[in-house]
Amino acid sequence: MNSPAQMSIRLLSTPLRFSGAHIFSALVVCAVLYSFGSPSANAQNRVSKRFPVGKNVRVELKNISGTITVESWNRDEIKITAALETPNANVYPKLMGECVSIDVMGDNRGRGDVGDVNFKIQVPQDSSVDIETRRGDITVSNIRGGLVRAHISTEGDIKLIDISATQVLAQNTIGDIHFDGGFSRGGTYQFQSTKGNISVRIPSDSAFRLVAAAPTKKIALGEFWHNGFKTLGDGRKFVGDVGDGRSSVMVTTFQGSITFIRR
Amino acid sequence: MNCEKCQELMGDLVDGGLSREDKSTLSLHLEECLACADVRNDLQSIVAFCRSHRGEYSAPPNAEGLWLRIRNVIEAEMQPASKASAARQQGKSFWSGLMSRSWELSMPQLAASAAAIVLVVSLGTTVGLRRWDSARGTGPVALSPRAEAATRVSDRMWQQQQAINYWNQRVETNKVRWNQGMRDTFDRNLKVIDQAVNDSLNELNRDPHDEVSEEMLNAALNEKLALLREFSDL
Repeated sequence: MNSPAQMSIRLLSTPLRFSGAHIFSALVVCAVLYSFGSPSANAQNRVSKRFPVGKNVRVELKNISGTITVESWNRDEIKITAALETPNANVYPKLMGECVSIDVMGDNRGRGDVGDVNFKIQVPQDSSVDIETRRGDITVSNIRGGLVRAHISTEGDIKLIDISATQVLAQNTIGDIHFDGGFSRGGTYQFQSTKGNISVRIPSDSAFRLVAAAPTKKIALGEFWHNGFKTLGDGRKFVGDVGDGRSSVMVTTFQGSITFIRR
Repeated sequence: MNCEKCQELMGDLVDGGLSREDKSTLSLHLEECLACADVRNDLQSIVAFCRSHRGEYSAPPNAEGLWLRIRNVIEAEMQPASKASAARQQGKSFWSGLMSRSWELSMPQLAASAAAIVLVVSLGTTVGLRRWDSARGTGPVALSPRAEAATRVSDRMWQQQQAINYWNQRVETNKVRWNQGMRDTFDRNLKVIDQAVNDSLNELNRDPHDEVSEEMLNAALNEKLALLREFSDL
């Protein structure tokens, strides 16, 4: 009878033979295990929350860094989904009356780097949306509420698609701004970028008073241009009415272009 | 007779220069008034002593020199007071003379005087206005429109700069807590805004009245301020 020591010696001295298929399978298994076990994948936490709300609800989000997408859906509730780059970040959506508030800035103040938090927010179509972040793209689509505000302190593109709000504010430092929607009577619309192109796509029958300024002189009003526009600063600024001028539109870019496109 | 009148006549009484009438009146008073009688007695004693010892006093060695010194001292003390009073007296006399003087003018003289007054006033006004205008042109308050516009911009820049410095300090304090990516992003964006500020300033240096550049400068400074304020919380 062999002792355990003798068995171990025999096992170690026996040569092992692997086919190519075995080796390939082993590599695939290792890769899958590695990808699941990597820190980055492990740290990607998710926060998801739903709030039943009425029609005229307001969503306020103050983020630090990350992409933000807001879109409408046919439900009287708000769904917030946040993907956290690191588990350190605190994300506590709160419902206060008819306002859902997410303050990543306030909830993580003094906690150092909390990484990106990427949001996807689904809201009723008549909601007002007020979003600000230090960095990252913002996309808002299909909103018909009173206010749509998208503010990026530094860099990130802003896309506002199918928007019909009475007040729209979009501002960033580096990045493009694209607005696709309509101007309501008596509404105010402001788009400002320091280094980015601004494009405004609106129906041809839009009526508004426009103040457009770009030191680069790259202002293209397309079909909305007419001789009644007042040109200031040697073509760096245009002021004039389109239609009855009932809504107020202000577009400013320091180092980019302004383009108006017929929808 | 009263005591005052009596003492006025006392000297003449002792010298024997009074009329008979004054002497009798004075004698009646001296009989009734003991005080005045004592004064008469003292005065008669002094005069009698002087007369009896006449020629016995010794004169000073240089009498003329002594008098000269005394007179110099008296004149030195009297001179300032007399000069001031003389000046006052002269001024007073000029104005009082002018005011008290009566003028008699014929119609041609009156017309000529009126014309002269109008001419003098007109000349004075013209010269005064010219001097005032020239003072405005060279004084520190008056600035050309170009300089005024430049001053306005620089004042606003200075005010904004104070606020920017304050928030910048706060940002620098907190910056160490940010990750490298956020620091790079902030610096990159601040550079872009500074570029916008400088572009506007360059335009304003070329044309201080350029309203578009002024607006852009204002907007860029506000944006810089907003960026610093927001990142000071991070």
